[in-house]
Amino acid sequence: MRLMRTPKKVDISITNRCNLRCRYCYHFESAGDVEGDLPAAEWFRFFEELNRCAVTEVTLAGGEPFIREDLKEIVHGIVRNRMRFQILSNGTLITDEMASFLASSGRCNYVQVSIDGSMPESHDVMRGKGSFAKALQGLMILRRHRVHVAVRVTIHRKNVNDLESVARLLLEDIGLSSFGTNSAGAMGMCRKNAEMVQLTTEERTLAMETLLTLSKKYNGRIQATAGPLAEARGWLDMEEARLWGKQLAPVRGCLSGCGCYWQDLAVRADGAVTPCTMLSHIELGRINRDDLVEIWQNHADLGSLRGRNRIPLSSFSFCEGCEYLQYCTGNCPGLSYTLVGEVNHPSPDACLRKFLAEGGRLPERSLLC
Amino acid sequence: MKQKNPIANPLIVLREEFDDWAILFDPDTGNAFGLNPTGVFIWKHLDGKHDTDAIVGRLREEADDVPADAAEHARQFIASLEQQGLVGYEVQT
Repeated sequence: MRLMRTPKKVDISITNRCNLRCRYCYHFESAGDVEGDLPAAEWFRFFEELNRCAVTEVTLAGGEPFIREDLKEIVHGIVRNRMRFQILSNGTLITDEMASFLASSGRCNYVQVSIDGSMPESHDVMRGKGSFAKALQGLMILRRHRVHVAVRVTIHRKNVNDLESVARLLLEDIGLSSFGTNSAGAMGMCRKNAEMVQLTTEERTLAMETLLTLSKKYNGRIQATAGPLAEARGWLDMEEARLWGKQLAPVRGCLSGCGCYWQDLAVRADGAVTPCTMLSHIELGRINRDDLVEIWQNHADLGSLRGRNRIPLSSFSFCEGCEYLQYCTGNCPGLSYTLVGEVNHPSPDACLRKFLAEGGRLPERSLLC
Repeated sequence: MKQKNPIANPLIVLREEFDDWAILFDPDTGNAFGLNPTGVFIWKHLDGKHDTDAIVGRLREEADDVPADAAEHARQFIASLEQQGLVGYEVQT
């Protein structure tokens, strides 16, 4: 792959504070969980550098971005520096005034709001009492002000049987054009609460089948880049390729599962530049101290990550004898780091062979849209 | 009222990604427009100090085999940028 001169997007943890403590939060208790938020002035200086680098968008995440009292000033800084933005939020702190401001900025791509259930029981059990009602209220406020909303449903053990009602709520009752799904990955708080949060193999099988069924019913309006729906699609493709000897694109059979560091960078709340929010333990430098272009083009750790896609899966004992080897990508390096302590390793969580060996079943291919 | 030389909209981001190719990004709309190396050269000279003929003159100095009708193509290109709000003109009253 060829490297762009500068990153296209930067994911910023604009705060380390949050009003909730969701049981599967990837941020808290990860390397991204750092003390102290940078003052707005630091971010303004950094946005000026992003402008010079022709970065076109930033993602504001956290913590909970709406907890920052100076969020409007920060958005003004983004707008001043010719960028667009999106905000990842739990939705509970969104006010009419803020939604009106975001709409008036003209630069907000979307606000992502987490809605994990069709009712308080299946949402609040992981996010805290009262959070479902507040998140739903935040979502409706944003819609009223015509701010584009991207809803994310994180699938866990307490909502896996509620997915049909979740789809009905979001797509029929509220009338969203689509929503995204994921599952609680083994990162941050989720590791501590894995027993309560993470799907068993049987539940994962159920989630895949249910989500494929719902996605078909709603004409592809349920999306995923990770989690059971994405896995179902990816694994069905791998199985078909294996059966019929097909080629899958892009590069397979190597650690090619993630390409985000070819386009994006991330910054922690303390100003440390990292390759990705999922790899926040890898410090590449500091904003307003180190030159971003220099980091992007020449940092050895980034170079090493970009070279992952040349590491064959056949070099790992974990993959020995696997009949899916030439169709697999090894998946997310962040997950592999948290699970086995190595970035350059296939993620065991995304292993089709392991899933099947543990009794998992792939859905019928006819369920694909 | 006399129209002066074309000026690139300062709000538009020139994002040079690979080699001499680039995209123009309009942050207000989120739209992006691809530019080939000649387009990038012209864009960088839309500073209000050069008219189309001057830009093409500079292009002839810097590049080989510039076609005879390059000025007409450059005018059309600048007009299309203007239509999309990417280029404006300072107006002398």
